[in-house]
Amino acid sequence: MSSLVSARGVSKHFGQVRAVDDVSFDIEKGRILGLIGPNGAGKTTLLKAVLGLTDCDGDLSVLGLNPFRQRKKLMQNICFIADVAVLPRWIKVSQLLDYVEAIHPNFSRSRAEELLQNTNVRAGARVKELSKGMVVQLHLSIIMAIDAKLLVLDEPTLGLDILFRKEFYANLLNDYFDEERTILITTHQVEEIENLLTDIMFINDGKILLDSSMDSLGDQYLELMTSGDQANDASLFGPIATSEMFGKSVMLFDGIPREKLENLGEVRIPAVADLFVAKIKEARQ
Amino acid sequence: MIGHQLALIRRELWEHRAIYVTPAAIAIIVTLGVLAMLMLTSGYAKELDLAIFGAQNIAGESERRVALTMFFVGTSWLFVVALMFLTVFYSLDSLYAERKDKSILFWRSMPATDAETVISKLLTAAIVIPAVTAVGIWITHLVNLIVTSIWVATRGGDAGMLIWGSVSILDNWLAALIIVVASGLWMSPFIAWFLFVSTWAKRMPIMWAFLPPIVLGLLEWIVFRTRYFLTTIGERSDMTPLFHTLSLEQFFEEEQWRHGVENISLLEHMDLVGFVTDPGFWSGLLVCGILTTAAIYVRRFRDDS
Repeated sequence: MSSLVSARGVSKHFGQVRAVDDVSFDIEKGRILGLIGPNGAGKTTLLKAVLGLTDCDGDLSVLGLNPFRQRKKLMQNICFIADVAVLPRWIKVSQLLDYVEAIHPNFSRSRAEELLQNTNVRAGARVKELSKGMVVQLHLSIIMAIDAKLLVLDEPTLGLDILFRKEFYANLLNDYFDEERTILITTHQVEEIENLLTDIMFINDGKILLDSSMDSLGDQYLELMTSGDQANDASLFGPIATSEMFGKSVMLFDGIPREKLENLGEVRIPAVADLFVAKIKEARQ
Repeated sequence: MIGHQLALIRRELWEHRAIYVTPAAIAIIVTLGVLAMLMLTSGYAKELDLAIFGAQNIAGESERRVALTMFFVGTSWLFVVALMFLTVFYSLDSLYAERKDKSILFWRSMPATDAETVISKLLTAAIVIPAVTAVGIWITHLVNLIVTSIWVATRGGDAGMLIWGSVSILDNWLAALIIVVASGLWMSPFIAWFLFVSTWAKRMPIMWAFLPPIVLGLLEWIVFRTRYFLTTIGERSDMTPLFHTLSLEQFFEEEQWRHGVENISLLEHMDLVGFVTDPGFWSGLLVCGILTTAAIYVRRFRDDS
């Protein structure tokens, strides 16, 4: 597989604050990577570096290009949605399509219009007249009509209700994603995208805490639901997190083989949200 | 490159509708004013019930020419004043508004470089807005000459001779175009400064545009007891080598004194060669280039934060 994004020792400092601190990772083609982190963890700064919106130290290559120095070329093959408010409020939908058509060599206007036909977004409407959900539909229609290799989504469904959020991700998977495309996504609503992801990366205080494929997550992390003496026995394996639920102990283990835990209770692969909370707490201790 | 520039400039016209709404509003106000004047002054005419642009006795060739010339100059002046305000406010807003409404991330998600974007805004301010202003002037003149011709013709006057034959309309239009476009080029260092402030200032770009030069001028006065900095800026904003270092106002005053209002010819006295060979013209373009480069550099680091 070829690396679409390659980062080696990437850092970004704002004065004394290390927003991104010496991170290294690769993103392969045809993957959907979730970048998860608490507020101020460095997610957006890292995304901005990948998008060439900010310079950084270290070696960062996106599609074989230096994102900051070769941004124009990069943007021909990258799309991003930063959040729902990013489209200019004064512009008309038809003007937006005219503009993207004139500027973007890989944009298909007919495809965008076809996608917009399934929404309530009218060509003559201004963005400020549209609801939040309609703005996202419009933005997504434009993005999906661009033949790009990498799509970056930074909290794309922020402020949207559950119906729109579900529709957004369904459209993304059904109408956009294929093995030639790669998606990098950050969101706080990690439960909603967990099933879409092929890879996951946790970031905290500018450092990467976890970088794994979803398939191999279960090889490393396991959750055990147990009680009584078995709970005492399980605690000897050193769980990274323990919580109580309905009178039972729920323990999260890092690197303990499944066969050692199976005799002690119900073993399953942890939810990403639970693993995230455990890793963040572990890092802060 | 050219295709991108055209798309980017079209985008500016979509966003900043004042660029064409303001000249349109002036055109409407002027036309209504002329109509009102025609109706008011015609009532006073004795021999002929004809009046144009405030001149009651249109049978007199001299008065007619004065009336027409003053109309051309007066309306053009209104447009030029509006052009000045439009350019200042447009330039200060153009790179600031995209950060204020956070749309900068959308614009930067498109394959247009920061250089292309900033240059499109410079071209809009220095060339497109003046060109739109010139078209506004032409349309206003044309509409009002037609309205007045109809007025004169319906009262038995020969509009062809009385109005269209009195002054060289094409000369006036060409002069108007040259004046507004030359003004844009002459003022380009100021425009580039405003663009730089627009992309640099976190807030209140209008304050950052005017306060530093004033403070710098005051410091020069306090430290050296000289006023070179503010004098240079003042002279640049007031004079152009287009009329042999005279401001347009000074030029009119001198010409009126020498020849009378009716014989003022902007085109005849324009010194185009002097304008493009003036060191001030080229040094202005150089300053414009430096400040535009600075604006491009700063925008590279700008996002929604």
